[in-house]
Amino acid sequence: MTSADLALRNVRKNLRDYTIYFLTLTFGVCVFYSFNAVESQQAIMGASASSGLVFQDFSQIIALVSIFVSLVLGLLILYANRFLVRRRKKEFGIYLTLGMSRGRVSRILIGETVLVGLLSLLTGLALGVSLSQGMALVTAKLMRLPIERMQFVFSPQALIKTTVYFGVIFLLLLVFNTVMVSRQKLINLIQANSRGEWFRTPRLGVSVAMFMVALGCLAVAYAMVLVGGPARALDVSTLRWVLLLVAVGTGLFFFALSGFLIKLLQRRRAIYLRGLNTFVVRQLSSKINTAHVSITLVCLMLAVSIGTLSLGLGVSKSIAYELGRGAPFDATFRAAANPAAGPAYRGVDLTAALEEVGLPLETVASRSLAVRYYEAGLTVPLWLTQNGREERYDVRAYLLRLSDYNAVLALMGQPQIALPQGRYAVNYAVTNAAMARATEAYIASKPTIDLAGERLTAGPDTFHRQVMEVLRNQDFDMTMVVPDRLVEGLPPARDVLHLDYLDPKDRSEALVQQAEDLLRTDSTTRLSLWTRLEVESFADSTSVMLAYVAIYLGLVFLIAAAAVLAIGQLSDMSDSLGRYRTLRQIGTDDKMVDRAVLAQSLTYFGLPLALALAHAVVGLVVAERLLGAFDKGSVVGSGLFTVAVLAVVYGGYFLATYQGSKAMLRRQS
Amino acid sequence: MVVITQPVAENGTPPTILETRDVVKIYGGGQNPTRALNGIGFTVAAGEFVGVMGASGSGKTTLLNCVSTIDTVTSGHILIDGQDITQLRQKDLARFRRQSLGFVFQDFNLLDTLTGRENIALALTILRRPPREVDRRVEAVAAVLGIEPVLDKFPYQMSGGQRQRVASARAIVTEPALVLADEPTGALDSKAAKDLLESFRLLVRQRSATILMVTHDAFAASHCDRILFIRDGQLFYQLVRGDQSRKVFFDQIMRVVGAMGGDPDDVG
Ligand SMILES: Nc1ncnc2c1ncn2[C@@H]1O[C@H](COP(=O)(O)OP(=O)(O)OP(=O)(O)O)[C@@H](O)[C@H]1O
Ligand SMILES: [Mg+2]
Repeated sequence: MTSADLALRNVRKNLRDYTIYFLTLTFGVCVFYSFNAVESQQAIMGASASSGLVFQDFSQIIALVSIFVSLVLGLLILYANRFLVRRRKKEFGIYLTLGMSRGRVSRILIGETVLVGLLSLLTGLALGVSLSQGMALVTAKLMRLPIERMQFVFSPQALIKTTVYFGVIFLLLLVFNTVMVSRQKLINLIQANSRGEWFRTPRLGVSVAMFMVALGCLAVAYAMVLVGGPARALDVSTLRWVLLLVAVGTGLFFFALSGFLIKLLQRRRAIYLRGLNTFVVRQLSSKINTAHVSITLVCLMLAVSIGTLSLGLGVSKSIAYELGRGAPFDATFRAAANPAAGPAYRGVDLTAALEEVGLPLETVASRSLAVRYYEAGLTVPLWLTQNGREERYDVRAYLLRLSDYNAVLALMGQPQIALPQGRYAVNYAVTNAAMARATEAYIASKPTIDLAGERLTAGPDTFHRQVMEVLRNQDFDMTMVVPDRLVEGLPPARDVLHLDYLDPKDRSEALVQQAEDLLRTDSTTRLSLWTRLEVESFADSTSVMLAYVAIYLGLVFLIAAAAVLAIGQLSDMSDSLGRYRTLRQIGTDDKMVDRAVLAQSLTYFGLPLALALAHAVVGLVVAERLLGAFDKGSVVGSGLFTVAVLAVVYGGYFLATYQGSKAMLRRQS
Repeated sequence: MVVITQPVAENGTPPTILETRDVVKIYGGGQNPTRALNGIGFTVAAGEFVGVMGASGSGKTTLLNCVSTIDTVTSGHILIDGQDITQLRQKDLARFRRQSLGFVFQDFNLLDTLTGRENIALALTILRRPPREVDRRVEAVAAVLGIEPVLDKFPYQMSGGQRQRVASARAIVTEPALVLADEPTGALDSKAAKDLLESFRLLVRQRSATILMVTHDAFAASHCDRILFIRDGQLFYQLVRGDQSRKVFFDQIMRVVGAMGGDPDDVG
């Protein structure tokens, strides 16, 4: 019989053990593909085409989460592999005792790993592809997109990325498993089952010290993001340190916990020596001790999940609000230089142009206002702190006459402004928190401009953040409002025409849209139209999509975390069946045993959740600072949503695990 | 087949604590059933130290499992203290086991996650004994069995004999009315075996416990008051020590063991 045959037979024979391994791998592949395909789905829908800085923030978060995702999946698979190898060690030991060469045993193990790896890669990819179809469909529905536009969503990049990534993981597993077989002493392999790992609890002093270090790491990490007030900029390099500290702190916390816990409880004889408490504490500490890596992972995944779920909804709502802000009127026509044709813009009379194509304004608009912006070749340098470096970001600025500015304000129902002698006003409807900070810093420096031989100064008292036109993405220009006479003779930069519709509004909308299709200009000019309806539906769809991605990601992490716990608990239960048999033999009744199982499950599921909640709350504070203030009301709402999801998914897994454990006990008796 | 007259409780003799009546245990029905117990019947009086001997596979462990209510009989009855345990409900069985029985298993059955001390203590903590009493009793029984040095070790860190003694300590620490021991001396050297047997004897004398002990070892068996010989799941013969010296009893046991392969009538 060849090694390959033997490997195949082994996989079949150990199907029950391999099921858990296989599911974990498949799940990992599926998640990884789907997650990477989400980005391409986003691209297909054109949402990220509007490359506002809002989305830069968003993709920064995605990038941070991606670090977690790849780390989590790699370790998840290592965990499943370890679980499998641990169950198989004895078998390999027996092969060796029977005189099989180490090379042959290695080959068998390699065969098994490759077989299961390939199978799960294929299954996972198939699942991932179909999952992203369903996702795309639901998204399209929510965003009221025509289904025709949503073709088969398949991302070749995601496929390649997944295959390469998992290929590397499998290779690592191969090396890991081969080394395991060739380096292990025979005695260790054979005694693998009887010689548990639980006894390796470090001494009390060591445990306590490590526990303190763990708490220290977490305290420092929390302080790094919480202390310093909202004004402090949190850049990615700081966050990287925080994440590292949180990960290390959490890992140490669970590593030291079992030793700490057991020593602590052993001193409380009255508790320790009551009923099955001794047994429960020993079981838990052995489990936490052997599974501290996976419990750490579970905790981090839970934190990410809770954070993503509650943040996702809040952020998406606040983004919807911000985007909705870009619609102070029912519609805005814009005419500006066509970038392809160079800067030669000669100005367009939009009112006349519309009349030419058969749309006199009075037939659609109750109110209208045409405004011209002027070009004075002004750019404003803003200094952004990104990745720990100052980066210069040049913003174009156009001039607007004070009277025009006041006319627009009047149309919006806002109070008029006056300009003191020698001053100009800056209007910049920036929404991105970093840009807003940079702008404020710029304004605070009392910048000056020279126009027609006059020097004008701006300052915080003449800084406005009005959204003054209907625009889908938030690429608002910076506007400098100057006394009317100073723009005399300057070339036009762009023309805008604001409209408020006549009723019925949908008829007006249809007419305006028709007119846009008919409008023709020469090649130097680019015309565009944005209506409130378009902006609001775009805001809706963006918010839906963000919420969707957040919920999807959060759910995936939550399910992965709960699944790892369930696998751990159930496999531990099957390892412990002999112990429960012994307990029953010495006269423990079902009720006592059930209570012992419940106590273990509760602790096992509860501890990581508690720490994860702490991480998540701190994470939310950070996120709020990164993204600027978002709607506080929605935070409460999404918090409640998160609690509900947690209760259903996590609670469901907990109950299923508890019931499954009890069923296992009943079956053996 | 020899008909064995059961000892009848007369005035002044201790009451019967254990009685088995026509106990049959069949493993795995279907094609190939094993009749591990084939209508075995005997009684044990309170305060007796009874040995059970028989070839490997003769049904000794099965008998103990049935008496200890760990396993259920196929037919027949087992009475402990006059109570038919084959009729007990699950919950009462568990209570009965932790209150009235001590069991030393052939394969020790120590909890590998617990230290020796914790293993022994567990038998008391599930009886909800106060912690101080638990600590005191564990120390006391450990002293009797000479396992103080291994109390804080885990089972995998102990030798086979030490494990055996820890298991025995767990069985007797609750001072149960009936101790069932499946080859408790199997892994012990002669000194350790003698110590364990003497602590069993002490238990019988001082706490008026009753012990039913399976053994292959005639020397261990010679410490008993009476020996039940089992063959093919049936009672084959029994020996009562009476007032004989242990040496004489030992020789008698050896003779029965020697004759076990053949006919019981060979036994002089
Ligand atoms: N769970 C079981 N299923 C099927 N057959 C069993 C089972 N347990 C024991 N047997 C069979 O019942 C018979 C009696 O077994 P038992 O373990 O009682 O023997 P024993 O007298 O204790 O032997 P030993 O001295 O080797 O311990 C044997 O033939 C054995 O194969
Ligand atoms: Mg036996």
